[in-house]
Amino acid sequence: MSRFVLASVCIIAAFSPVATAQQAGAPSHNVQGAVRVVDVRARALEVTTGIGMALRVVRIQVPAAVRVTATGAVLTLSQLAPGDIVRVSYGGTPGGYLAYTIERVGRMETGAGGTP
Amino acid sequence: MNGRLAVWCAVVTLAAASAACRRPPRPGDPLPGLSKAERARFDSGRVAFETIFTPETGLGPLFNADGCAECHEEPVTGGAGDEIERHAAAFHAVPPAGTRPCDELVALGGPVFQQRVTPALRTAVGIDSEPVPPEATAIAGRSSPDIFGLGLLDAVPDSEILTRADPDDRDRDGISGRPNRFFDGRVGRFGRKALVPTLREFNDGAAPTEQGVTNPVAPEEGTFGGRPFPPGTDPTPDPEISRETIDLVDFFVRLLAPPSPLKLNRQTHQGRAAFDSIGCAACHVAALHTGDSPITALRYQTVAAYTDLLLHDMGPDLADICLSNATPSEFRTEPLMGVRLMTRFLHDGRATTLEQAIELHNGEAARARDRFRTLTAEERAALVAFLKTL
Repeated sequence: MSRFVLASVCIIAAFSPVATAQQAGAPSHNVQGAVRVVDVRARALEVTTGIGMALRVVRIQVPAAVRVTATGAVLTLSQLAPGDIVRVSYGGTPGGYLAYTIERVGRMETGAGGTP
Repeated sequence: MNGRLAVWCAVVTLAAASAACRRPPRPGDPLPGLSKAERARFDSGRVAFETIFTPETGLGPLFNADGCAECHEEPVTGGAGDEIERHAAAFHAVPPAGTRPCDELVALGGPVFQQRVTPALRTAVGIDSEPVPPEATAIAGRSSPDIFGLGLLDAVPDSEILTRADPDDRDRDGISGRPNRFFDGRVGRFGRKALVPTLREFNDGAAPTEQGVTNPVAPEEGTFGGRPFPPGTDPTPDPEISRETIDLVDFFVRLLAPPSPLKLNRQTHQGRAAFDSIGCAACHVAALHTGDSPITALRYQTVAAYTDLLLHDMGPDLADICLSNATPSEFRTEPLMGVRLMTRFLHDGRATTLEQAIELHNGEAARARDRFRTLTAEERAALVAFLKTL
């Protein structure tokens, strides 16, 4: 019986809001990819990435407090544009992915001379 | 006397064995100079490459083939196939606000739209292939090329590719190759539009894309038109193959030798001269050079690749989909190493002879094609004969 209670407490603790907040409190993923969509009203980015021809789009929410930077300068979310290459650290939450930092590192149109 | 005979026999045997060791690689052979351990790993990789998947072992729910060797099989494992894949994308030269000119339709299941489904998915949603969404502006066919020598192409440094790029045609030769880039900005080189930067990524991505088999590098099952698969249609837990398996497949592909060019005779010497003089070699660069590599057989080698790994505008008749920075009419210069083993040519296999393939060149290649037309019949035959030595 005591084992059952202990197990129950552990399960409840693991799924409690506190535990979830702790998991969401640290970036667990990094992606460098091309901005597909900037949704300023919803404060979200869609980034195209993938492995080889197995491509995928990652949709990431961008809280207002998140710093968006480019070569040290601070940008607003609306200054990002489709085709920008961004490096994003983000983490998973029950509501989806959440950005922690966003750095613009280049543009898709870069030619022979520019390697981000 | 008997002793002398024995020594003589031993010398002859050693010489014969040495000659056999030095014989040029045949299709499907590994690169020369592998260690015993590398050779054993190559052989294990071939077994993994030839694995046939079923829904119970991870196949699907969407797929193009039930194993790597279904499409890379002629004349031997690693060769070409007769399958034509279906890729699609949406290209808008003047893109709608807030979008790029090229939409690879990734959010809708693209750019590769699989043509086969497992029985479970067919039962659940009543389809025989992944539907191409109406947003597509082009649907492309993609033939299955041989994969011989790709490890050597992978070992060519980016700097060697970039040094030939001339995106603004500053030398005014009518040829303006440029590199494609993956979505993270790295230089691409694999695939008909040169999207994929490394062979490793190309191989790792092929399992989920072609067989619907997830792996530790690409652990997420794909989608069905951008939507998750219905419950019960993908019973195998992800990842569906191990890291060791994809490592073995990669090792096998990486160390497949390119077929050695055949010895030239008088006619093919003449053909090679014509190949150079009419301008084919401006893009089909005869030799590339590998850089450093942890694998000795790949390190500082000269590759008879006949490609510059750059994108070139091939004109409107060949145009199909966009992919990253590649516009619909831009294609990577197809490597000609091993072209003698091919029976269909160009990215979608539409040409059944090398002459047809040359005739279908346009855009940046129009000048070379026009010069080909001005050659005598004998010179054209010599040029084609030269290509059949590669």
